[in-house]
Amino acid sequence: MTRKSGRAVTALLFICAAGLAAAPSPPVSGELDAAGFRETIAREKGHVVLVNFWATWCVPCREEFPDLSKMQERNRAAGLRIVGVSTDFASQKAAVEKFLQAMRPAFPNYRKKSGGDDQDFIDAVERTWGGELPFSILYDRSGKKVKSFSGKLPIAAAEKEIRKLLAAS
Amino acid sequence: MRPFRVLLVLALLCAAASALTAESPAIGAAAPDFQLTTVDGKSFSLASEAKSHKAVVVMFISTQCPYSNAYNDRMRDMASAYAAKGVLFAGINSNKTEDAAAALSHAREHGHTFPIMKDPGNKVADAYDAQHTPTVYVIDAQGKVRYEGRIDENSENPKGVTSPDLVNALDSLLAGKPIAKTTTKAFGCSIKRV
Repeated sequence: MTRKSGRAVTALLFICAAGLAAAPSPPVSGELDAAGFRETIAREKGHVVLVNFWATWCVPCREEFPDLSKMQERNRAAGLRIVGVSTDFASQKAAVEKFLQAMRPAFPNYRKKSGGDDQDFIDAVERTWGGELPFSILYDRSGKKVKSFSGKLPIAAAEKEIRKLLAAS
Repeated sequence: MRPFRVLLVLALLCAAASALTAESPAIGAAAPDFQLTTVDGKSFSLASEAKSHKAVVVMFISTQCPYSNAYNDRMRDMASAYAAKGVLFAGINSNKTEDAAAALSHAREHGHTFPIMKDPGNKVADAYDAQHTPTVYVIDAQGKVRYEGRIDENSENPKGVTSPDLVNALDSLLAGKPIAKTTTKAFGCSIKRV
C-alpha cells in the first residue's frame, strides 16, 4: 500500500467512524411481551435496573422523561441501566418514534407488544400494579425486585435508593 | 397502670393510621357511600341509587385519557342497554386537571346521558383507592361491591373483545349467579389527585 492510498484508507475509516457515531440509535429497541420483558431484565443481571412504563399521551410520563435520562447519565458508570417500555396502542407507533426522536433518551426503549390480555402482562411484571401510568420498578444487581413506584417517579428519593443498591456489591 | 396507658395510646394511633390508609373495598364489602352533584346540577347519592336499582356501575373516567376515551361509545351503549335491565351507570371524574364544564361538554359530545360527577379533592377516588381511568365498580342493590376492574380486555379494538368482563359481571349478577371474575386489570391513566 502506497503512502497516498494508506492516507485515503485512514480518511475513509475516520469518515465511517464519524458516520457510525452520528447515526441515531434505533428509537424503539423492539417489542416485548411478558416473556420478552423477563428476558430483558435477566440480560441486565449485574446492573441495577430501573424499568419505566410510559405512554406518549401520559403527561407525567412525558414530564419525567428528561429527568430519567439525566439520572441514567449520572449513574451509568456506577452500573445503573434504565429501560423504558411504552404501552402505547399499536396505532400510535409513529407517535412513539417521534417522541423518542425528540427526547433522545440515554436509555433503550421498547414497546409493549400489542394483542393478548394486558392483565397477563401487568401481572407478569408486578402483581401489585393496577395498570396505572407512569409506573417504575427497581431491581438490584441480582435481578431481584426491590421497589415499585406508582405515578411520577420521585427522582431524588429514587436516586438515593438506586445509589444504595449501586454501592452494594 | 402506665404501661396500659401507653398501650392504649399506641392502639389509638394504630387505629387512626389504618383509617387514614385507604384500600380498595374488598369484593363483597360495603361500597363507600358518597353524595356528589352531577355536572348538570343534580344531587346524587350512591346509597339511594343502589337501593332503587338492581346495580350501580361506578366508573372513574376522564375527558383526556386515551384509554378512558377508547371506551366512550362502549360506556354509552352499555349504559343504555343496561338501563332497561335496572342498572344505573354513573361516571366520576376525579382529575384535578379537568373541570366540571369540560366533563359536561365531553359527556354531551359522546352522548353520555348517565350521571357524571366531579369528585372535589378526589375524596371518592381515595375512598375506593381508584388509581386510574377507566376503572369500574359494580355495586349491588345491598350497596356491596361485586366487581372491580376494567370494562373489557381490548381497549384498542371494541370488535376484537374476547373478555367482556363488565358485561359478564352484570349478567351474572342480574341472573343471581356467582360472578366468575370479580377483579380485573388494564392499563390506564393515573388519576390526577390534588
